[in-house]
Amino acid sequence: MFIRLVADSFSRRPRHKLLTGAALALGMAVATAALSVSLDVGDRLAREFRSLGANLLVTPQADSLPLEIGGVDYRPVNAGAYLPESDLGKLKTIFWRNNVVGFAPAVEAPVDAWTKSSQTYSTPAIAAHTRLIGTWANHVVSIPDGSTYVTGIEKTNPWWQVDGRWFKDGAQECVVGKSFAARAGVKIGSALNVNTPQTNLTLLVTGILSGGGPEDDAIVAPITIAQEIAGKPGGYRRLYVSALTKPEDEFGRRDPNSLAPADYERWYCTPYISSIALQIKQVLPGANVRVIRRVADGEGAILTRVRSLLWLVTFASLLAAALAVGASSAASVIERRTEIGLMKALGAGSGTVGFLLAAEQLLLALVGGAAGYSLGILLARVVGQKIFGVAPEFSFLVLAVIIGLAAIVTMLGSAIPLRRASRFEPAPILRGE
Amino acid sequence: MPDRKMFWRIMRRLLSANRGRLFVILLALGAGAAITSALLNLQVDAKRRLTAEFRAFGANVVIAPSDSGASAESAQFLNDSLFADLAKGMDSSTIPKAEFLYGIVDAARVPAAKDQKDGASTKVILAGFDYTGSRPEQVLPPALVAAAQKVASSDTRACEVGQRAAVTLELSSGDTVSLSNGSRQVSCLVEVLPSIGGAEDSQVFLNLRATQTLLDQPGRISLIQLSVPGTPQQIENHLASLRRLPDAEVRPIRQFTEGEAKIYNRISGILSATVGLVLVLTALCVMAAMTNVAMERRNDVGLMKAIGGATRRVLRLFLAEAAILGLTGGILGAAVGILLSMWLGKAVFGIAARPRLIVYPVAVALTIIVAIAGAFPLRRLASIRPAAVFRGEA
Repeated sequence: MFIRLVADSFSRRPRHKLLTGAALALGMAVATAALSVSLDVGDRLAREFRSLGANLLVTPQADSLPLEIGGVDYRPVNAGAYLPESDLGKLKTIFWRNNVVGFAPAVEAPVDAWTKSSQTYSTPAIAAHTRLIGTWANHVVSIPDGSTYVTGIEKTNPWWQVDGRWFKDGAQECVVGKSFAARAGVKIGSALNVNTPQTNLTLLVTGILSGGGPEDDAIVAPITIAQEIAGKPGGYRRLYVSALTKPEDEFGRRDPNSLAPADYERWYCTPYISSIALQIKQVLPGANVRVIRRVADGEGAILTRVRSLLWLVTFASLLAAALAVGASSAASVIERRTEIGLMKALGAGSGTVGFLLAAEQLLLALVGGAAGYSLGILLARVVGQKIFGVAPEFSFLVLAVIIGLAAIVTMLGSAIPLRRASRFEPAPILRGE
Repeated sequence: MPDRKMFWRIMRRLLSANRGRLFVILLALGAGAAITSALLNLQVDAKRRLTAEFRAFGANVVIAPSDSGASAESAQFLNDSLFADLAKGMDSSTIPKAEFLYGIVDAARVPAAKDQKDGASTKVILAGFDYTGSRPEQVLPPALVAAAQKVASSDTRACEVGQRAAVTLELSSGDTVSLSNGSRQVSCLVEVLPSIGGAEDSQVFLNLRATQTLLDQPGRISLIQLSVPGTPQQIENHLASLRRLPDAEVRPIRQFTEGEAKIYNRISGILSATVGLVLVLTALCVMAAMTNVAMERRNDVGLMKAIGGATRRVLRLFLAEAAILGLTGGILGAAVGILLSMWLGKAVFGIAARPRLIVYPVAVALTIIVAIAGAFPLRRLASIRPAAVFRGEA
């Protein structure tokens, strides 16, 4: 009888039930979209922030004091210590290896460079003094577990734009900074002669680099070439690491040495920038790992703010969805006052009537919530695609939250009119008063 | 005009007939308007606030001599007066900026007691610096600003030593270090900086005037750093105006200007999308409530038609009622929205959002439109036959 009553209510007024269901579905769709976008947005934004470049700098522990002005190191190349390049695969073996999104070692050496095309009949070729930065463009790193990983300066310094193409790893090629190119008359395809007192090389220019920093006045070449010039095969002097991190909170800023073992475990297993720095230090012996504070702290501050802002807006959208759904289910109960009156007149208790109506509403909530969820996922895909170019990942958490929310909200929305309806005497309602 | 008088009289009765229901409708409309205006206000404010947050990344523009970077030997300098001129410029006066003069000097620890021996002399980069603007931590490392403000109160000459330089020179805060360049020499009280992660860690910072004297470069500086606030477009405009400076090259620090532009666009995009969704929902919610009201008026419509009211006039009456409700609810809600957005701004950014007046007329207008749109199902009532209503048929 109970099931028959519910089924009857649906089949008797299909259009009406469809309307209420549609309102429910629409509200839940918006809630789903907002929820899945903001669940996803933290990770997405953290990844976006990596376009600001490296947030960790690794230098040799035993290094002498750098004499660096405006990004140019004025120490002689043979001064200071170098670290072995072969160790770098270990970076992808640390606990937070998947958070290391890119790294690139660098070796710098002063050189004199000239090209034939800058030579004319009146002026013989003049060697221009500049720096050669040896690094990885797209280097295949072999990781101790047997797999490989491609990384390089393109990942750590995404704002470096190359007109032309990057050099090939290990090839006798290079890219030149745009102001050096203008100064020395170098074009893409030129053969660049690079001289130092010890070596004499000819490199093919494959691209013009513009980065907005001191690199605009330098030559960037495969690291092997710079190592050869510096006389330090297989070594690097500086390593830039770009890692996804969790903004440092009160706990993250504490000195790890002062933590209790359980707290230390928690600190170590949280992707704070300082715990990633420690993990890198553990796999690279003799290295000094420093946090580039400007980048790390700025990122942390903005991420925290944006996250709380988005949660707030999401909460507002959930609230609005709840109101919309609650209002429409309240309306559908109010309209059935006559029916309730009749049921009571025929001897149904308030409990039975309430139970019957609640079951109907719940059924509607499940169907509408599920429909709204699928609609909302589509909406979230569109929004995510438009803003980040990637659709947010599917999450069961959202589905659970949405169905639960739909059920609670419809129940709450119908509870108030139901209570009022149960207090009415059947007779006046049936008379139409 | 008796017609108009009657109109208002009916209107008064319609509104005051059921106080409880009036309250519920005003609540729905007001809540809608409050959410709308709070979110619109917060969105406008948040975008502005975000650009200010980006200043945490420090300087985004460098002014250097036009042919800098060629080599160390031919290092060029800017004239000190350029910095003062920048500060005088109209829109540049509030932008945080710092000037630097770099040079290589020999540094050694001065023993505190006679029986200790001198520390070994090491070559370090000496950075002379000075800054203007109300928020120097937006252009200089915050740790350096804090240290500089701390030593500024003392009478003795002090210098801030980067963490790596301090380790190499075996210095700790409170020691004295002597800096020498040929025959010129100064000594200063050391304040050790925490690790910053950049080149600053291996530098020694000193007051600009003292550095100019020590390096024998009076009135000269190596470069100027600025922290230009605003949206990517505003920064670009500011750069264009700076590029008119003579003998100087203005370089945006692409790492930050480009990254910031990208992130700003993403964040403002996501914010707009979510706010848009919420507004659509709120409109739906208000419309649902209004539709409810309209449907409850079946009996009224039936009676009016029975005593000879033309459908158009009856309809006009109910639409006017919806508009009045929308206006009242909208104004009340917008007022709540102001307070709400100020509180939300405080919760997220630590500073109350500044109310933007344009938001409120927009929110009120939107509420009225939605209220009228919600009352539109009344049109269906035009086809109602009064007799059917009175018989109590649905």
